[in-house]
Amino acid sequence: MATVTLTAQQDTDEFFKQNCTSCHTIGGGRLTGPDLKNVEKRRDRAWLIRFIQDPQAMIASGDPEAQKLLREARGVVMPKVVGITKKRAAKILDLIAAESKLEKSRFAGLSLSDRPFTEEDRTIGRELFLGTRRLKGGGPPCLSCHTVNGVGGLGGGELGPDLTDAYARLEGRKVLGAWLASPSTETMAPVFKKHPIDPDEILPLLAFLETESKEGTPATTGSNINFVLLGVVGATALLFLFDYFWRRRFTGVRARLVRGQR
Amino acid sequence: MDVRAQISMVFHLDKCIGCHTCSIACKNIWTDRKGAEYMWWNNVETKPGTGFPTKWEDQDSYRGGWKVENGKLELRSTDKRGTVANIFHNPSMPSLDDYYEPWTYDYGELFNAPEGTDQPTARPISMITGNPMDIEAGPNWDDDLSGSPVYAKNDPNFAHLSDEQKSQLFAIERMVMFYFPRICNHCLNPACVAACPSGALYKRGEDGIVLIDQNRCRAWRACVAACPYKKTYYNWQTGKSEKCILCFPRLETGQAPACFHSCVGRIRYLGVLLYDADRIETVASMDDKELIGAHRDLILDPNDPEVIAEARKNGVHDSVIESAQASPVYKFVKNWGIALPPHIEYRTLPMLFYVPPLLPVMSSQEEGGLMNDIDELFGDIEKARAPISYLAKIFGAGNESYLRYALKKQMAVRLWRRAVTVGDITKEEAEKALTAADTTPEEADEIYRMTALCTFDDRFVIPPSHREEAIEMLEDPLEYKQSAGFGFRTGPRRGL
Repeated sequence: MATVTLTAQQDTDEFFKQNCTSCHTIGGGRLTGPDLKNVEKRRDRAWLIRFIQDPQAMIASGDPEAQKLLREARGVVMPKVVGITKKRAAKILDLIAAESKLEKSRFAGLSLSDRPFTEEDRTIGRELFLGTRRLKGGGPPCLSCHTVNGVGGLGGGELGPDLTDAYARLEGRKVLGAWLASPSTETMAPVFKKHPIDPDEILPLLAFLETESKEGTPATTGSNINFVLLGVVGATALLFLFDYFWRRRFTGVRARLVRGQR
Repeated sequence: MDVRAQISMVFHLDKCIGCHTCSIACKNIWTDRKGAEYMWWNNVETKPGTGFPTKWEDQDSYRGGWKVENGKLELRSTDKRGTVANIFHNPSMPSLDDYYEPWTYDYGELFNAPEGTDQPTARPISMITGNPMDIEAGPNWDDDLSGSPVYAKNDPNFAHLSDEQKSQLFAIERMVMFYFPRICNHCLNPACVAACPSGALYKRGEDGIVLIDQNRCRAWRACVAACPYKKTYYNWQTGKSEKCILCFPRLETGQAPACFHSCVGRIRYLGVLLYDADRIETVASMDDKELIGAHRDLILDPNDPEVIAEARKNGVHDSVIESAQASPVYKFVKNWGIALPPHIEYRTLPMLFYVPPLLPVMSSQEEGGLMNDIDELFGDIEKARAPISYLAKIFGAGNESYLRYALKKQMAVRLWRRAVTVGDITKEEAEKALTAADTTPEEADEIYRMTALCTFDDRFVIPPSHREEAIEMLEDPLEYKQSAGFGFRTGPRRGL
């Protein structure tokens, strides 16, 4: 039985690390979401459990506490965590309570270097974003789902949001850095769970996103039209190419034999 | 040794007169149906010529048969990648135009024509569309036209001939031709069977006849592309492929196949052979030059006690072994060595053998009289009107020695019989010719008898099929006992 308990404990730790630390710390100050140290002293446990299970519903229901939190997070809604249950929410609260008693929690936040971004950081960050330099953990490059300032010819991916103003929106290196350390949205979490971004790669990416946020504004739909047009032109060109390659497909052996003989 | 039985055939081309009776017999029995009009399970080609379908021997276009790649035997027509790439359109498949658009005539226009100043004509009507059409090609197009500038000139077997040889072949008054009747070769290493993605083709265990299961066929037509002899055909009406079945319902009742039975020139021989199935792959992977010899070695001596014992162990019935001992095919191929497989370089190991035609200049017109040219006994073989290298391309995988051997022996038999019956050649001279052709007077007489005086039973030694044993493996013969008699497939309807 002891093993099972231990495993359950590890499971909660892991779950917290993967799903919560991108926005929250325990005793490390505010990121996107509030610092969770001694959260139960500030809020009722039952309310917390309800909120953790479905934050969006709580906000939509017009709960005044939830509305206040939304304002503090400058409109960033806490996503509903995949696989959350009432039991799990309670376990997380137990974990937070236990960690709050410690001098220095394991979840006090990422310790990123404070050194100013160098030009080299920016270059490496750009390469990581575009995928010309592979992520050490083997994750996909940002470009496959995101874009910044119409980067890389066709303007990057369309699946995730435009990251041009991400640095400004998430208040710089601390919050955005924590996000990158363990991306927790439904789309990114399953991908980066097994292939986390290396801590050494976070700083260059931040440097790159900082530069981009200074330089541009989110792109309009112009690049989308280009993309569609390019698709149409490409498909047509491909059809003509096929037609050329297999130009003899309807000419049998006999037809070629007798051609020009009459 | 894995001894199996194979019903094999010999076509004696020196006797073929190109009358197409075989083709018609086959057509009337098997392919006189909608969707099968264009099929000729048996067809007769004029050589030099491009055959049916047009230029079927050109495997650069049709990609039939096998190739050896890195020491491994592989289909030319397809592989795993090719199957996917060509799933909707196989570029090496013959089109209907490469066969021909089958037609009939609107005879009504002929018989019911009103009285007029012109001859009434029957219009050709396409048997596919039902509309009037212009005839552009047929299954024996350019028949008897060996020098035709379009078809004959493009015979794929000319590829390696020198310009001089070609111009000789096409010189007026020197033109030469022979007939090349073709049916399915019921190969030992059939490419059609290997290519079928549905596993619908199979080689019958008891007699080696290659068949297509009409229930399993899924119209992939991979067999059509894979068969280098283009002897499987796609029926556009039923959506299934079909091929020569060697008239197995006739064979099973002891009758010769229709094309064999009807042959006017009596060129066709049929008999069972025993072969070693263990060595098929090894033999089929050999060098072009070794193929004919190795293929011949694959055929086992049915009188060898070891072979008989192995055959019995494999379930070959004693009556089949006896039949193999009397097989005329064994004599032509193994004893006499004068029958050769067609295009063995396709590596399917065909089990239909051809006695190559003698095309010598036997006499020439000089000063108003006919002179016999028999001074040099075999000079006329080398000087034959069709270059040996041309025949070797068809029957010897480019290997002239087998051709020369077969032609020399036939020529020697002729000379010997001439010495016996006419007497204008001395027996000594004829015997000299026999020795030079690696034969004896006894063997020459035997060849002569089998060639010229052969009866029906000499030509066709059909092994008993023992279907009663085969059927016992599939179902209980007593299953319907006490239940036979009158009955109804659907319930009887009474009254009006």
